[in-house]
Amino acid sequence: MADLGAISLWIALALAAYAAIGSVVGKTRDSTVLLDSSRNAIYLLVLVLLVATLSLVVSFINHDFEVAYVAAHSELAMPDRFTWVAYYAGNEGSLLFISLCLSVMSALAIWLAPVKVRDTLPYTAAVLMVILTFFLAVTSVMANPFDKLPFVPLDGDGINPLLTHFGMFFHPPALMAGLIATSIPFAFAMGSLIGGKTGDEWVDTGRVWGILSWGLLAVGLLLGSWWAYTILGWGGFWFWDPVENAAFMPWLGLTAFVHSIMVQKRRGMFRMWNIVLINISFGLALYGMFMNRGGAVPSVHSFGSSSLGWVFLLFLGLGILVPFVIFFWRYHQLKSAQNLDSMLSREAAFLVNNLLLLAIAFVTLWGTVYPLISKLFTGVELTVARPFYDQVNGPLMLGLIFLMGVGPLLPWRRATPASVRKALLPPSIAAAATVLILIAMGVWQEYALIAFGLAAAVTAGIFTEWYRGTRSRQRSSGDFYPLAFLRLIAANRPRYGGYIVHLSIVMVALGVVGATFFSTQLDVVLAPGERVTVEDYEIRYVGTTEIPKSNRTDFISTVEVYRDGNLLDTIEPNRSFYPSFNMASTRAAIRSTPVEDLFVVPSENMSDGSVGFRILVNPLMWWMWVAGPVLVLGAVVSLWPQRVRQTAPAPAPGRVPAGPRPTVA
Amino acid sequence: MKIGYHHKLTLFAGTLALLLLLASPGGDALAQGPSYSPKEALSIDRMLMCPVCPAETIDQAQVEISRQMKAVVREMLTNGASREEILDFFVARYGLGILAAPPKSGANLLVWVLPIAGVLAALAGAYLIIRSMSARSAQVTGASIPTTNLTEAGLAPFLEAVDRDLALSGDSGTTVHPTGASSYDSGRDSGCASNQTRNGVDKRREQEKNRRDDLEQNG
Repeated sequence: MADLGAISLWIALALAAYAAIGSVVGKTRDSTVLLDSSRNAIYLLVLVLLVATLSLVVSFINHDFEVAYVAAHSELAMPDRFTWVAYYAGNEGSLLFISLCLSVMSALAIWLAPVKVRDTLPYTAAVLMVILTFFLAVTSVMANPFDKLPFVPLDGDGINPLLTHFGMFFHPPALMAGLIATSIPFAFAMGSLIGGKTGDEWVDTGRVWGILSWGLLAVGLLLGSWWAYTILGWGGFWFWDPVENAAFMPWLGLTAFVHSIMVQKRRGMFRMWNIVLINISFGLALYGMFMNRGGAVPSVHSFGSSSLGWVFLLFLGLGILVPFVIFFWRYHQLKSAQNLDSMLSREAAFLVNNLLLLAIAFVTLWGTVYPLISKLFTGVELTVARPFYDQVNGPLMLGLIFLMGVGPLLPWRRATPASVRKALLPPSIAAAATVLILIAMGVWQEYALIAFGLAAAVTAGIFTEWYRGTRSRQRSSGDFYPLAFLRLIAANRPRYGGYIVHLSIVMVALGVVGATFFSTQLDVVLAPGERVTVEDYEIRYVGTTEIPKSNRTDFISTVEVYRDGNLLDTIEPNRSFYPSFNMASTRAAIRSTPVEDLFVVPSENMSDGSVGFRILVNPLMWWMWVAGPVLVLGAVVSLWPQRVRQTAPAPAPGRVPAGPRPTVA
Repeated sequence: MKIGYHHKLTLFAGTLALLLLLASPGGDALAQGPSYSPKEALSIDRMLMCPVCPAETIDQAQVEISRQMKAVVREMLTNGASREEILDFFVARYGLGILAAPPKSGANLLVWVLPIAGVLAALAGAYLIIRSMSARSAQVTGASIPTTNLTEAGLAPFLEAVDRDLALSGDSGTTVHPTGASSYDSGRDSGCASNQTRNGVDKRREQEKNRRDDLEQNG
């Protein structure tokens, strides 16, 4: 089975290289045959890579330990459902996964490409296939998942216990798919540039794939935080680890992109800027894959060292340099169709939003590379970790939330001061009221006050918009309010999807602020029967059951939670010891409510039955995890295709005679 | 070997703390008693990296050395040491790398100042760009505003006329236009020049129908 996989991998490499060359040659020589065969090669690639993937999966299920990758990432005792996780548990498998994702997305993007980008599609295809060729070459030559051991071991090493978590079924694939999906809008931008189409042809397609990639990254990041929160056992969800940062930065770049692309879609502005943004996002995504899979820095994500570093570094360099060369080659043709009219306009707000997002990405990158710079120039080993990011990125993020509240309330082109005052009145009242109530409740942390005030303002702004829109729709159409509301959303999906996403970001902000400023942490050793009080809760440790399993021993502690003398809940935090890895993995018991999380995790099991617990009370964390589905909903709404019509708000010439509407001119 | 080292560490901390205690006015230290603020201890924990684990501070790390370091932090706090003294103590032992963020002094000021300067410069740049663009846009008369693919070619002369009006009313600093000001009436916010222009002309009948279409088309 593994041989079939290895052969498929080589065939895939040949096909990708052929499609890359064939597309360019076919386009320049105007050969339809070559173009068609290149496109077919791209479609065929999906099939070939699926065969490779399936053969790896079958090797896992058959416990074919002759295959080095299978031996390193599974064992006889591993349940079959973890095969999916084991597939991308190491560099080799995840590179295959990335290649598969890229090939599926490339095929879809090319198949679904609208008419207006058809002309430059061969260049887009070529860009995508160059990227795929790189990944497939690295996979087949340097990190082949089908490499065989000179002997057949009796059992494999087993899967890293940290990966045996529900979140791991989705977090790594979502992130890897999101990172590589950045290639698609990038390829459309580059394709148009190379083909000399410097207008807005690529914008719709670029936007759709940009949002898709953005959403995958967002989901991946949230799932990763959730995983860290429940399994790493320290009660936090984000610690600015270099690899987390590497996935966070392209997300920031794409967030800027999906906003700024709307300005081009609507007003034909920011043409250069959007290309710069997608280049930056793609560069950051490559950097993310390099950090994650190249093993450049020590982090919780480095699953085994690797020698891929320099190849990735080289490709990263080219991936940043070449697009900018192409950009400057076409620079003089990239002129915006219109100018910015006013400081008080949505365009201006988007521009500042873009800058803040890029600033956060830059600060994050700077913090990641500064230790290297310091070591290189002064020889001093330094750490740049959480306090730095909290202090520098914190205010920038508050600024971003502020813009999130103000930007959507500003009209396009220009607003008058009076109209701005009117629009900002409800959010301002909400913010002021929230801050006053919080002060009355005894909250004094100025950061938290600002953050909560801004969160209230954003929420109030969004709900006011919804209310006004629904009301005017109800008046003009006579629909019931709920129906009017749904129709309102359906009528302008990018806008209302965006609002839903904004709400989810507010929810994330609530969780972050709650956990950062109002969390209580207690490390305590309890003997069976002992009690401890944390905030309003009284915790009673009952005892621990030891359950030996085939590959580990589970220590399941029973803990009773009381409040005001009443038993609220009995929770079972657990800690497993894996002898073959000589490591323990914990599973926190979390009693989660919208008000606060009670988080109990055993950090140490003593021989006398007493247990070292870490107990946290994290206010508002619940909101952060609920934000995930809300965010996905928002992204889906904004992507849901509208009835096939021109996006131009004015009637398109071709359609007018057929339609019932009288023409204006 | 490691254990011996940490015993020495604790011993050193103890001695230092004792010295501090002797240096401070006796009555005060006794009155305060052996207590410390857990919040302060936690925030100091968050400033110190665990020396053996990758990218974790000692409040996160679950290994022995981070427990010992946390004990040292609490012991020193109990003995009245300040945050700076505690951090300095660990820097003296482990080097600057033990701090979760570089100190805001000397050459390392760069790590803090550069991003702030960068952000301010970018914002200033954006301000200038927007200002020059909006100034240019105010000078431009409607006739020279290029129609984009967003606006229908057939509407061009008509749009130009209205754009000229818009530019004039914009100069006078009063309300731009009825629709321009009420763009937060979400249903109609197509955000396009053409929307404003169409509404700018008094063609009621069409408006009603166009509004419907706008609602569906604003994609």
